[in-house]
Amino acid sequence: MRQVRIILWVFVALALLAASYLLTRKPPAPVSGVQPTELVKFGGPFTLIGSDGQPFSNAKLNGKPYAIFFGFTHCPDVCPTTLARLVKLRQQLGSGERPFEIVFVTVDPERDGPAEVGKYAELFDSPIIGLTGSPAQVEQVKKLFGIFSKKVEQPGGDYSVNHTSTVLLFDRRGDLSGTISPEEEDAAALAKLKRLSA
Amino acid sequence: MKALLLTSLLLLASCNRGAPDIIVSDPWVRETVAGQSGTAAYVTIQNKGSGDDRLLSIGAPQPITATLHETSTENGVSSMRALENGLAVPAGATIPLNPGRAHIMITGLTTPLRAGETLKLTLRFERSGEKIVDFKVAPAMGGMAH
Repeated sequence: MRQVRIILWVFVALALLAASYLLTRKPPAPVSGVQPTELVKFGGPFTLIGSDGQPFSNAKLNGKPYAIFFGFTHCPDVCPTTLARLVKLRQQLGSGERPFEIVFVTVDPERDGPAEVGKYAELFDSPIIGLTGSPAQVEQVKKLFGIFSKKVEQPGGDYSVNHTSTVLLFDRRGDLSGTISPEEEDAAALAKLKRLSA
Repeated sequence: MKALLLTSLLLLASCNRGAPDIIVSDPWVRETVAGQSGTAAYVTIQNKGSGDDRLLSIGAPQPITATLHETSTENGVSSMRALENGLAVPAGATIPLNPGRAHIMITGLTTPLRAGETLKLTLRFERSGEKIVDFKVAPAMGGMAH
């Protein structure tokens, strides 16, 4: 009887050892510290149409930091909310010379011509560069900036557009310096804009 | 059958069946320019009563249509979804309809809404009935203050 008890205790000890080994074992070390990230270049040369009906080339933004947002003028909530926020944050960065440009590109060129984007930009009481173009031009620019948009039929024959609502920030050299998402707090967005315009 | 009865009793018990007392504040609608067919209206709904309520739908003057909507952003893409079951306003709760979230979507505008004007909308509640509310048209920038 005593022998059986000793054997059982040996089993318990072995089980404890095995458990502690499993619990303290280190996970396998990563093969290498390098992540296979594909480098994607955002932005690039483009031509759209300004609110004056004239061609607008990206060269006009050369040497200026800018925040670019894609939306549409019939957009009831997220577009005006985002543009109003950018204007408000730009004002918070200080008056005087504009610390960065705000660019609004429509993803709905069928409804938004030069006049529409121009008038829409004026809603925000602060200079906003409103841009449109032919559907092909807008499509090309969307691709350059990694923007998604899709029309959604609404009851009554109207349509809405689901679209990327992330604001892309480009520095003076024309390089992507960051993004601002709609869910982000104002303080975080302001810090990014400060860095952009520094 | 017994289980069903018990469940319904439990459900009843978890609802606040007192009288709701709905108070709306800060109603505003964003100004538009010619050519814009839509915008959004915002309001804060408070239920000071002891009973739950639900905002079911919104009535608007012709040719405008007003629908309860919610903006959601997934993987950087924003979309809107109609709140087909309305918006719950539980007893004691304050439900803000704010930019970027739940809002009243206004469509079918044929003339612009100018700052300073008012837009009369009818808020239809499940238990409190209809409330006619004057939404103040506010500038796109000014409205942010709310």
